[in-house]
Amino acid sequence: MTKTDGTPVAVSFTGAVKTFGAVRAVDGVDLEIRRGETVALLGRNGAGKSSTIALLLGLDTPDEGTVSLFGGTPEQAVRAGQVGAMLQEGRAVPRVTVRELVSFVAGRYPAPMPVADALALAGIEELAQRRVDKLSGGQTQRVRFAVALAGNPALLVLDEPTAALDVEARHAFWTSMRAYARRGHTVLFSTHYLEEADAHADRIVVIDHGRVVAMGSGEELKRAAGGSLVSFDLAGRGTEGLSLLPGVTAVEVRGDRARLRTDDSDATVIALAGLNAIRGLEVAPASLDDAFMALTSGSDSRPGSRSDDRTGSGSDTDLETVR
Amino acid sequence: MIDYLRLEVRRTLRDTMFVIFGVGMPVMMYLLFTNLGENDPEWKTISMVGMAAYGAVGSALSTGGGVAEDKTIGWLRQLRVTPMTPRQVVAGRALTGSVTVLPSIAAVLVAGGLVNGVRLDVWQWAAVALLLWLGSIPFTLLGLGNGYRLTAQTTGVANMVCNLGLSVLGGLWFPIALFPGWLQSVSSYTPTNRFAQLGTAVADGHAPSAAAVTVLAAWLLAFGSYAVVSYRRAARTI
Repeated sequence: MTKTDGTPVAVSFTGAVKTFGAVRAVDGVDLEIRRGETVALLGRNGAGKSSTIALLLGLDTPDEGTVSLFGGTPEQAVRAGQVGAMLQEGRAVPRVTVRELVSFVAGRYPAPMPVADALALAGIEELAQRRVDKLSGGQTQRVRFAVALAGNPALLVLDEPTAALDVEARHAFWTSMRAYARRGHTVLFSTHYLEEADAHADRIVVIDHGRVVAMGSGEELKRAAGGSLVSFDLAGRGTEGLSLLPGVTAVEVRGDRARLRTDDSDATVIALAGLNAIRGLEVAPASLDDAFMALTSGSDSRPGSRSDDRTGSGSDTDLETVR
Repeated sequence: MIDYLRLEVRRTLRDTMFVIFGVGMPVMMYLLFTNLGENDPEWKTISMVGMAAYGAVGSALSTGGGVAEDKTIGWLRQLRVTPMTPRQVVAGRALTGSVTVLPSIAAVLVAGGLVNGVRLDVWQWAAVALLLWLGSIPFTLLGLGNGYRLTAQTTGVANMVCNLGLSVLGGLWFPIALFPGWLQSVSSYTPTNRFAQLGTAVADGHAPSAAAVTVLAAWLLAFGSYAVVSYRRAARTI
């Protein structure tokens, strides 16, 4: 087993590639997650998050490269009970009670947590006797969370775990997730909510078009994406030449307002003043949203567009921010 | 795996459709078919075995419906990320099928004995039940093959077509003596016809014929291969 900073590695991707027909859903991912880390896989729908997770869990095998868990193959880790997962496409299992389901899954693992603990951690103790198929979407989601952690796995994998939850349930969910992570477990979750990634992960891995495009804490990503955002009213004037101004790395127009991303806001502002284009001038540090946009704007992947990914099912929400 | 078997049997018995169509229907049809008009005791016995076989076939096939359903909702995929091996899951499912046919068989036999006054020796009752139980295995495999290969909806349709088609053709509903000659010879090659013969032979006081066992064994092999191929193909995408 390789070691980084003396901490054993839980997950390791080396040049992993997975193609579906002409689509390279996972396109050369290198990734290492140390034991005890909580990592967010951030990307829009169809970016390759679920395909990456399928490789991680051994549900798919990479066409090229390798994926290893705890120094062995994903299959070995899963068989050994080191992995628990909440899959994205999972729905309610019919004709079974919550307790029966969670007990059954717990019983498959060598060292499960007590069923009562799993139910409590997922916040569904009072639903224990209810039929899973009679629950609401949010409640079902929490049952699936209980199923994922019932075996007390060293690695917990959550694919878009908060998709069906309202604000309150979301908050409770993250509290539980962090409680589980604090026990020393490794957690990997995918999300397209920036704030969730920023607030609940030690490290964010940004995925776009099947590649890791950035990695680090929220602060580091903001810095990596660069600088500030200068915006002003165009007041009818054109946008030509704006991208040539000093410091400017990107130009975006929203309505009558131009937003310039810049490495050097002072120089940009002075140049704009020279053009007498300072109506409603505003200078702001780049937000995480901006950072994300900058990091994933490599091709025509504007918000609203979707690349092909067999996992991009149903939801048409793209990049979103939790309020 | 015992836990998995217990879980799945429980889920099957809680399925209202299973109880109605797998257990209630065969009993109702048996009582109907043997009490309308003139009926000799012999027909009451033959029909009892036939309807018990019909119930067993329906229940065995419905195992595949459960598989297709679990495939659709992602439960089979969820099981793949637990320490259970795929082999244990399939075996557990097959065992589930062999357990859930029991109420179907028992219900019709009980109706025969208690309501229709069918009289057999104790060993005959036991042998009929046992042979119907063992003889249902090919149908469980057929159901599993359908369930792994098809979607939940098409599995339901395929199972129904197999169930009704094979049951009528095999003479489980009406004696094949009523069929035209060519259809009778077709019928003698169906798995359902030979399946019921296991029971009727014993109820008649003698061992099942070698022909019955051979034909059923051939179907066991065919349906078993079908199940394996379907499973192998599906396993990559579950």
